[in-house]
Amino acid sequence: MMLTIKNLKCSIGEKEILQGINLDVRPGEVHAIMGRNGSGKSTLANVISGKETAEISSGTILYKGEDLFEKSTEQRALEGIFLSFQYPVAIPGVNITYFLKEAVNAKRRYLGQNELDAATFLQKIKEKLPLVDLDISFIKRAVNDGFSGGEKKRNEILQLLMLEPDLAILDETDSGLDIDALKIVSNGIKSYRSSEKSFVIITHYPRLLHYVKPDKVHILINGKIVKTGGPDLAELLEQKGYSWLES
Amino acid sequence: MIPSHFQTEFEKIMKRDYFSSEIHPVREKAFSRFMDMGLPTQKWEDWRFTNLSELKNKKYYISDIKDAPTKPINLEKYKMEGVDTVVFYNGHYQKDISSVPEGVRLLNGIEYFERNNKSMVCAEYSPFDFLNTALMDSGFCILVEPNTIVKKPIRVLFVSNGEKAVMTNPRIDIELGQSSSLTFVEHHVGEASSYFQNESVFVNLAPNVSLDHIRIQTNSSGTINIENLKVSQEKDSQYNFFQFTNGSRFGRTNLHCELKGEGAECFLNGLTLSDSKSQIDNHIITEHISQNCTSSQNFKAILKDRSSGVFSGRVVVRKDAQKTDAKQSSKNLLLSEKAVMNSNPQLEINADDVKCAHSSTSGELDQEAIFYLRSRGLDIQLSKQLLVRGFAMEKINLIKNKPIYDHILSLFESWVRS
Repeated sequence: MMLTIKNLKCSIGEKEILQGINLDVRPGEVHAIMGRNGSGKSTLANVISGKETAEISSGTILYKGEDLFEKSTEQRALEGIFLSFQYPVAIPGVNITYFLKEAVNAKRRYLGQNELDAATFLQKIKEKLPLVDLDISFIKRAVNDGFSGGEKKRNEILQLLMLEPDLAILDETDSGLDIDALKIVSNGIKSYRSSEKSFVIITHYPRLLHYVKPDKVHILINGKIVKTGGPDLAELLEQKGYSWLES
Repeated sequence: MIPSHFQTEFEKIMKRDYFSSEIHPVREKAFSRFMDMGLPTQKWEDWRFTNLSELKNKKYYISDIKDAPTKPINLEKYKMEGVDTVVFYNGHYQKDISSVPEGVRLLNGIEYFERNNKSMVCAEYSPFDFLNTALMDSGFCILVEPNTIVKKPIRVLFVSNGEKAVMTNPRIDIELGQSSSLTFVEHHVGEASSYFQNESVFVNLAPNVSLDHIRIQTNSSGTINIENLKVSQEKDSQYNFFQFTNGSRFGRTNLHCELKGEGAECFLNGLTLSDSKSQIDNHIITEHISQNCTSSQNFKAILKDRSSGVFSGRVVVRKDAQKTDAKQSSKNLLLSEKAVMNSNPQLEINADDVKCAHSSTSGELDQEAIFYLRSRGLDIQLSKQLLVRGFAMEKINLIKNKPIYDHILSLFESWVRS
């Protein structure tokens, strides 16, 4: 099993945001978690990646059979968890090349592999750039600094392609994208899909799921998964909205 | 209140043959003004955040012959490729190991004095201007003839070493003739356990001149380094100042630029890295006298430990300086709860058709950004280093000369990892 979440409850302040989440993600599976604003989607993504904004009151998360709560954010990343941010943070003064080379080599060191030299790294990133429709000038820019919404999300997927995670959590990667950017981002995701890699796609809308077909769709309402189904569930949601699930 | 040892040191320098006795009246006048003003206290507006107790409580001695090097000095660690270097060691000019690039004339000592018609300019802003004139021990002039493009940068390397509390008061005049250009590097280094340098620099830029002035201050933690820098710009001249500071117990740069000729441009940049208990102050005045001039003051500081700093920037736009375009920014990063930054940007505008903007921010590292980097596999320390690097690189990237850029980058890298 890639990811096992059992009875996860957590709160921010007085408010219980997640009220007992259960989720099993196998290698090669794409899961979509859908829900309205405030349903707890991003909190779930943050808890998996190790952000300490929510207090976990009960439950467990196992990643490849190991307790995730024992690991720091960076350790989770080094072991193959990647979070694509809803709002990627700008790092002025640090260009993408420098940043990604540091990140790729941190992972290689952790895995006991030789660090990539500048030329090999450049070769590798040059192979990935066309997958998200970017050219070489992009990687000379400071990370997310002055980027458009589409550029930020493409940069997230570029990082995913370079860091080669086993489990990718995509937090509203489709939000704020026009149809062309959505296609580009979707193609980037699809190029990485394989029988070993797993995805958890968090989204409001079914439109990304038209391009990246999920194996399972979960509906999250008020911190609980109220319904799980196949890709058809996303279509149903598009027709009927969320309200029929709320009773 | 001036400590009495300054009087003793003044009497000593008056007995010296350096320059000529013709200069004595100028020295006496300056010293008397220095005595009248006294050393600044924190009651003075411009020195409100500056504690000069070390200068007041410690005795500093003017450099004498015993402070000159007795054997060849090893400058390997201060090496900079692609520049010609003029060396001063504890205030003593090291002619044998100095060289100047083609297109530059260097006048030293008496030549300098004669060039200035046996008179000396004395700025009158602070007691340190008067102290420099009174106790001036090394003076030289860097001259570039009109229409000369000097390709190789000239570096003046001030080395301060030794156990004795030495005080030096060097003076540099830089004069660039019409349509000439130069890169001037002022490099302050050394391991002195206690040292006080009070330097005055006068820059005169003729029409259509371009000067890149790079100041690197990496003195020992026992050094007090005060720089009094006056810049006068004629029509269409350009002055690019970049200061990199990561040393000294106390450092203070008093920089005053006058944009006298129409179309002059003045871009002042600084990056301060401070740690332990050091204090680095920058007092910057840009004065727009003529119309259609452009200026900017962009200073950044990164403070660790119990260090502190001051940015006091003032842009003055005189009433005839219409169409002025002036920007001012002070951005500071505090890496410790005990670090303190005092930032005070000011605009004084007396013309009605101008564009002026200023901003000031001081804060800690962005926690969201740290999380973002950690989520990519970088540990906390590396994440912080990367953010600090980003903050600093915006300044370091302004240096176009590759060997100077490399030198400053390596100083930064070793500081950020320490």
